[in-house]
Amino acid sequence: MRALSTLASAALLATLSHAAEQADYYKREEIPLPPGEVMEIGSIALLPERKVAVTTRRGDLWICSGAYDEDLTKVSWTKFAYGLHEPLGMFWRDGSLWLTQRPEVSRLTDSNKDGKADTFETVSAGWGIRGDYHEYAFGSEPDANGDIWVVLCLTGSFTAESDWRGWCVRVTPKGEMIPTCSGIRSPGGIGFNATGETFYTDNQGPWNGSSSLKWLKPGSFQGNPSANKFHKLGKDLPAPPEVADKSRIVSERVKHASFIPPAVVFPHGRIGQSPTGIAVDKTGGKFGPWDAQLYVGEQTHSQVQRVCLEQVNGIYQGAVFHFLEGFEAGIIPVRLDQKEGVLFVGGSNRGWGSRGSKSFTFERVSPTGKVPFEINTMKANKDGFTLAFTEALDPISAANPASYDMAAWTYILQSDYGSPEVDQATPKVTAAKVAADGKSVRLTVEGLVKGHVHQLSAKGVKSAAGNPLWHPEAFYTLNEIPN
Amino acid sequence: MKRLVLFLLGASAAAVAAQDGGQLYALNCSACHGNDGKGATGGAFPPLANSPWVTGDPALPVKIVLHGLEGVVEVAGKTYNLAMPPHGAVLGDAEVAAVLSFVRSSWGNSAAVITSEQVKEVRAQSAERKQPWTGPELLKDHPLKIEASALSKLTSRAYFGEFQQIPDFSTAKQENIEEENDGLISASHGLRPANFAVLWEAEFNAPADGEYTFKLDSDDLSRVSIKGTMVAEILEIGPMGRAKEGKITLAKGAHPIRIEFVQGGGDMGISLGWKGPGVENWKWLSDQSGRGAKPWPNIPVQPLGSQLAIYRNFIGGTTPRAIGIGFPTGVNLAWSADNFAPELVWHGLFMDGGRHWTDRGTGDEPPAGQDVARLSNAPAFAALAETTSRWPEKPQLTTRFRGYKLGAASDLTFSLESGGCRLLDHYAADGAKTLVRTLRSDAAAAEPLAVLLVRGKAVTAAGNGTYEVEGGLTLTLKAGTKVRLLEDGSLTATLEGKAPIEIRYSWR
Repeated sequence: MRALSTLASAALLATLSHAAEQADYYKREEIPLPPGEVMEIGSIALLPERKVAVTTRRGDLWICSGAYDEDLTKVSWTKFAYGLHEPLGMFWRDGSLWLTQRPEVSRLTDSNKDGKADTFETVSAGWGIRGDYHEYAFGSEPDANGDIWVVLCLTGSFTAESDWRGWCVRVTPKGEMIPTCSGIRSPGGIGFNATGETFYTDNQGPWNGSSSLKWLKPGSFQGNPSANKFHKLGKDLPAPPEVADKSRIVSERVKHASFIPPAVVFPHGRIGQSPTGIAVDKTGGKFGPWDAQLYVGEQTHSQVQRVCLEQVNGIYQGAVFHFLEGFEAGIIPVRLDQKEGVLFVGGSNRGWGSRGSKSFTFERVSPTGKVPFEINTMKANKDGFTLAFTEALDPISAANPASYDMAAWTYILQSDYGSPEVDQATPKVTAAKVAADGKSVRLTVEGLVKGHVHQLSAKGVKSAAGNPLWHPEAFYTLNEIPN
Repeated sequence: MKRLVLFLLGASAAAVAAQDGGQLYALNCSACHGNDGKGATGGAFPPLANSPWVTGDPALPVKIVLHGLEGVVEVAGKTYNLAMPPHGAVLGDAEVAAVLSFVRSSWGNSAAVITSEQVKEVRAQSAERKQPWTGPELLKDHPLKIEASALSKLTSRAYFGEFQQIPDFSTAKQENIEEENDGLISASHGLRPANFAVLWEAEFNAPADGEYTFKLDSDDLSRVSIKGTMVAEILEIGPMGRAKEGKITLAKGAHPIRIEFVQGGGDMGISLGWKGPGVENWKWLSDQSGRGAKPWPNIPVQPLGSQLAIYRNFIGGTTPRAIGIGFPTGVNLAWSADNFAPELVWHGLFMDGGRHWTDRGTGDEPPAGQDVARLSNAPAFAALAETTSRWPEKPQLTTRFRGYKLGAASDLTFSLESGGCRLLDHYAADGAKTLVRTLRSDAAAAEPLAVLLVRGKAVTAAGNGTYEVEGGLTLTLKAGTKVRLLEDGSLTATLEGKAPIEIRYSWR
């Protein structure tokens, strides 16, 4: 009995010390919600005067004041609109809130200035819906042209029974709808990287061996051929490729130039299993040293992952790292205030389970000012990878190849639901050279495999202060090996 | 000695499998089914602990893991309407066997392990399966082991005849008596005429001292009494889905229970469940469980004060882009943004959000109120020339939905573009039984527009611009409106210039 209680307290201590670690760097706080309301949050928008708007899956739109304040107990909420159709995208522009709802892009305006929307303008309703709950529509903020990018989930997440399901469309401010990419399955969120390219997350299932972050290059095919037929609805749209079942992305890409591979695969279960919203860091360091990186929400594991991207031979690729965890429900939208360096997340676990055990949540994360010892970026070289760290390294452990472990694998491209990890390889770190700045390492790796996810574990690396990495793992998708 | 070695080997192999199974469970299953097997988020997802779905015939859980499961299922007395994705393409036979063996031996479950060979066999047998299973499909081939009923010494007595209320069984003529050894009451057991009554008598075996709740549902009348005390009764003719609950305090032990039932023709059914000390989910005393009832709560959506209620989700009887509007006085419409028309009008309650706001929210929800009239089912604007005899299925005219505006007086205007004009379709209530619609164009169109008012319904002209539709609904158009009844029965009006069309939808 005694031994058992010792064990239990050891386990408790371990849990506490781990939880304390995140709190050392980032403060996660629940923002009180309007009492008695079911606030299953599907989108977040940042408004003037430090107000924050959220939409709920039930179709309400609330505006929060005080979400930036030190004392969150004093937040106040007003209901701006109701009776919306499951909005999953929202932003503020020209005195209005622009929403991507299930059937349309809409512009909501409070024209009589009574604090409530009265004008609900339909900007575009150019895609089909047929009463299937899974035909979700996720919308972006405006791009440089002012266009909203909308990714349209397949019917039931399997088939294409309504127009433009499985496609990405752009909606111009005037309401023109431009079909832009094909091959989509079941998105969880959409956003831009630091240079304004559009990315979305797609979930494990048919033609997605694992979930991933994908680059919506205009004209591209994203891998799922279920909705290829809709090119016939457009003007002079080429037929998307009919990729071969039970093949590999790396070989199908050779046959079909329009097939853009997932930029970063999130290996199922190893780092989340249902990625959602996307936010780019343009805070200039206010949220940590992750300039130009992406934060990606995670429904099932109630987390936020961190992604660094680079372009090699014209294709995006990069690494995903574990970052924030312990959120109270499944995370759907994430919004980063670029001026303040505050990350807002919201979510719900209705219909899809999550580690966070509340039915819904609205939270903010702010940096404490203490920077964790982490791999900041991971970039591919012809013969390995370069890792940049957030702190000066212990030169001995960082230069020891035995401090690094690698594994590599890929997934089957197939119509079946998901894929096991296949074609396992064991790339070997043969040399680790610490750069003159003492903060980065160039790894020489034998056995890189084009197209594979490369898992790096840098458990042996210590900082100059003697600390291990907060998160020693990275998963790099090597679509292209630099020349 | 040899046997012992084999036994030990077997045990350690099982231990390894159990360990892998636990990891696989944590990775693939626990987010929804919970680390404790009780269903995540306080049981919002189905439990696996003490679930007959996983502890019985091995083929049942193997099929679910391989191909997934969607739709309504009942587990341990609670209904769920979710979707589980297939795992057969991700997990190999050994992994499926390991994770299910872990599930079958955890949290109080103690069913036999499942082997890779068993998984392989089921996988081969169900290789053609491409869609997730539904509960009824699976249960047909793999019925769940039913727990022993809490009823013993159950007898049923049948009485034939058209009963308007629950009869005095002491004076009614009994046709037969049967012993029901399974301890379950059944409305459909035995050959009976269209109208009959049944009296069941038994002992209810209370497992502990405490308060017991009974849930009774029936099509048509029913009553349950314990120790001579009425606990719940349903006294009006009607379908399943009108469950009544009642409570009674019982000591541990057997208590006489009496269940009375009247079938008044048409569909029939009876379900009776109970909960008590230590029993959190319903246990059923009937062959029908509460499945007949909808697996979500009522979440009424109603106007608040002078504020209109708006419901945008899938409304049964109209199109996916329909927008439900409920006026504070109790008149309602569902305006189709696909067909640009008020396709449904009704009065009374507005909508019930329970279906769409529980679990994944599948399917269409019909209006909650009364006298729902489906007025039309095709795009409502066309060129006059297209509508000389019949309303076209797909008019040539392009019409676009442009949104809606809430007015200051509990009113609302839908906005459209059609034939180069902006059309404004305004709605307000006039009391509890009348909806007033005013349709106008903001510019005089080059050509008059035909507007569909009613299609696919019998319409009777009653004079003075009044047309009778159904369910006591009439449409009244202002004098001078050009109205036509087409050969296919469609009622149309003509929109010319900037002159508005006013239509009053009224119930008697």
